Amino acid sequence: MSVIKLTGGRVIDPANGVDDQVRDLYIRDGRLIAAPDAHDRISAEYNISGRIVMSGAIDMHSHIGGGKVNIAREMLPEDHRGDPVERTELTRSSCGHAAPGTLAAGYRYAEMGYTAAFEPALLPVNARQAHMEMGDTPMLDTGGYAMLGSDDFLLRMLAAKEDQQAINDYVAWTLHATQTVGIKVVNPGAISAFKFNQRKLDLDEQNAFYGITPREIVKVLSRAVHDLGVAKPLHVHASNLGVPGNVDTTLGTMDAAEGLPVHLTHIQFHSYGTEGERKFSSAAARIAEAINQKKNVSADVGQILFGQTVTASGDNMVQYRNAGHGSPKKSVIMDIECDAGCGVVPFKYKDQNFVNALQWAIGLEIFLMVDDPWRIFLTTDHPNGAPFTTYPHLIKLLMDRSFRNAMLDTINPDARAMSNLAGLDREYSLYEIAIMTRAGPAKLIGLADRGHLAPGAAADIVVYKEDADRERMFEKPELVFKDGELVVRDGRIVKVVRGGTHAVKPEFDIGIEKKIKPYFERFHSVRMNNFKISDDELCECGGGSKLIAHACRKRG
Amino acid sequence: MTHEATSTVVTEVACPLCGHACDDLSVDTAGAALAVVAHGCDRAVSGFARLGAGSTAATPRIAGRPATLDEACAEAARLLAASAQPVFGGMALDVSGARGAMELVDRAGGVIDHMNNEFGWRASRVIQDGGGINTTLAEVKNRADLILLVGTDAVSAQPRFFERCVWVKETMFDLQPDSRRIVYLGGGLDTQPGHSPDGRAPDVFDFERSRMPEALSVLNALVAQQPVAGDAPLGIALARWQALADALLGAQYSVVVWAGPAFEVSQLDLNVGAIVSLVRRLNVTTRCNSLPLAGNDGDLSMGAVHTWQTGYPMRTSYASGTPKFDPLHNGIDRLLATGEADALVWLSSLNDLQSPPATGVPTIVIAPPSLKLAAEPQVYIPVATPGMHHTGHFVRTDKVVTLPLQALRRSALPAAGEVAVAIATRLKEVQS
Repeated sequence: MSVIKLTGGRVIDPANGVDDQVRDLYIRDGRLIAAPDAHDRISAEYNISGRIVMSGAIDMHSHIGGGKVNIAREMLPEDHRGDPVERTELTRSSCGHAAPGTLAAGYRYAEMGYTAAFEPALLPVNARQAHMEMGDTPMLDTGGYAMLGSDDFLLRMLAAKEDQQAINDYVAWTLHATQTVGIKVVNPGAISAFKFNQRKLDLDEQNAFYGITPREIVKVLSRAVHDLGVAKPLHVHASNLGVPGNVDTTLGTMDAAEGLPVHLTHIQFHSYGTEGERKFSSAAARIAEAINQKKNVSADVGQILFGQTVTASGDNMVQYRNAGHGSPKKSVIMDIECDAGCGVVPFKYKDQNFVNALQWAIGLEIFLMVDDPWRIFLTTDHPNGAPFTTYPHLIKLLMDRSFRNAMLDTINPDARAMSNLAGLDREYSLYEIAIMTRAGPAKLIGLADRGHLAPGAAADIVVYKEDADRERMFEKPELVFKDGELVVRDGRIVKVVRGGTHAVKPEFDIGIEKKIKPYFERFHSVRMNNFKISDDELCECGGGSKLIAHACRKRG
Repeated sequence: MTHEATSTVVTEVACPLCGHACDDLSVDTAGAALAVVAHGCDRAVSGFARLGAGSTAATPRIAGRPATLDEACAEAARLLAASAQPVFGGMALDVSGARGAMELVDRAGGVIDHMNNEFGWRASRVIQDGGGINTTLAEVKNRADLILLVGTDAVSAQPRFFERCVWVKETMFDLQPDSRRIVYLGGGLDTQPGHSPDGRAPDVFDFERSRMPEALSVLNALVAQQPVAGDAPLGIALARWQALADALLGAQYSVVVWAGPAFEVSQLDLNVGAIVSLVRRLNVTTRCNSLPLAGNDGDLSMGAVHTWQTGYPMRTSYASGTPKFDPLHNGIDRLLATGEADALVWLSSLNDLQSPPATGVPTIVIAPPSLKLAAEPQVYIPVATPGMHHTGHFVRTDKVVTLPLQALRRSALPAAGEVAVAIATRLKEVQS
């Protein structure tokens, strides 16, 4: 068979403990192999001596598909005008900056060396649309985390004190029905509470109708995900996002998992204290200390970067509250199917604004104070903190202390005075960046053959020209291979490919459908059988994307 | 009533014939036409019968003469290659049809405008100007204690709205469905479906519907506790208006229903903007959401795909090689009327009642064989219908739920999306 050889690159492959070692890589039939055998012939060889080689990057939290993203696109033509993607012989035209079209998003991710991205807030009832949008996102493998925790069925089960086994069956059923790779909870129980006109919901405050607290929801869902053997820990968008003093809620939410694996997402937005004249301060030190101590906890940062973006969230309660801060001042808030909700608010982060500047510093403080790069992930919560296209800039902030401090000198001086960022000397290494953007996400989500470069791995490979300016280095890799095919050369698409869709397949008792089917007929607007997405239909939704199914080993 | 599935009856069928996308139909596939035997409204029954015919002798035509599909696609590609500004109308498609159309319009450098988009783009502009607070059908069904229908009776657009979302047997919560309060704003509406099962009549504010902007101003003022001039705005006692404002403020979860085509086109932005203001104001103290009724003829399916793939809504030009959104300039009726467009592609797999306009420019019609054409186009390609002959996906009125469409019987005809992709492939060959 024909084999592609990458010769002489400096390989950084943290999953296999390889740190900047010169190695030749061989690709056969889309996978890495140790060495060609007698039947193989080298059909193409790339001399990449001196170049840095990593596996394809994986964005474990990026809002790339689903109803709220499409609302953001529709509502922001002004976002798109300055950022067109031209039609070429290979690629289609598209556009957008903070809320790009799926085509633009796929091309740009690939051009930055990303080969997978995961939509973290896939509403079960909107799962088809999310998969269709991800299917129309070329170049990338995709997957989603299904949102539970404000859905009537689960809250009803909790109110009725149904046992954990029944909840596990419902969670597993949801994963199958929505073809997803994990479970997310957004402002636990509060999306539902907002529909009953509650305007806030603290960790131990009861939903007015069900009498259930966010703490109980985090507890049972983290248990369910664990028991079912789903690799990806429960993905938690904690209560009280953006509220000064929410650090205590965030620490309490970590504890709500009672020692089971739990992932706190966009934790920057949940790391605020109430010190200082303006009663808004950094609590990054307490958050980082907690992550350092609690080995069951992981987090992605949700870094903000200055400029225009749009916030798109399932958290309708918080988005409604923040709608007045929108810039430009417009917003769409939705209640959705007694299942979930969403809110879209454009936002401009300003470096001279005290709060925004401190948010910027808080995110960086968390990055620099969390010791273990396997448990902290590089995200901007695209597009909520900034568009994903800012990742190379963020990497430079983490890797280059003098650059970081020069930026720090330009922000709102009161915010600078409130931050300990200037005292943090740490500079991330390429090895640590590779953990945060490749090996770590693959391990967290359970993608055994992604995020590394050992024989047998999928040949998602990125070749960078070493550059002291890390932003320049990471924004335009020389070569990107997706499943063994060269798809990007010198930062430009040379081949358009369609990725696959990751989904987990935990075992469960299908008998749960005896409850779910009549429930849908009594209360819902669709039939259960039209809610579920079969494997065949998933591929059709994805416009032909392959299902990449992951078995789970029960732990319950 | 549920119809048992038999060898020829398919149950839980989703219907693509209006934006409500009911998914509880039973359809008998045994006869010459598809027969909706349970849960079908008149539109569904006649639509499945008409569009769902099995064998058809229809073949593609070039200038009226029978041709193969390949020949017809090649001729369509030739016409598009020769066109400086082709436009794409009709667009009554499901998601797969829309995906194919997007590939073709980009390649052809055209503009897409859905047959319902004279309303759609204006509603979209309200979102772009201010946004909104919206809800979905299951929320209405389970929570709505007051439903205010603004200028629409709902059932003209979506016949089973009251049956499926209002007068239901039970709700998830404490709300008794029969206790809901129904209010119509505007005269000349079919208010019969608004009567509760226990015989309560709806509250009808009967006035000339072209005066809707005034009516909404009155309501907005009263909800905001501002004075209103006169003691009988629009000929209706101020006390009734005040009672309605009080009811909205007192409701736990009111829903304001509107439909673009029910408004005068020139007033659409104004009315929808006023509804958004009303809903925002009410949410300061209680919950209130609007529910736009749309999705007919696949307008939301086409619109969603257009927006997600390229970032912009329809009325975007692909002529320059990058998308240029300009809804005022790019209305295809305007482009055809001024002579700026020099070819028309009429794509429709869901609507066989609306014919393409007579334009005088070369026309390519890709539509079901049951569509009656006033004039013979340069190219005609008959296509199958999603949800009848092939699978597909359909975006419902609330833009959240997408229903899977089933293949109920086979057709020898291709799907519209396949035809569009085939023409795009041919066009690429012609251009290179």
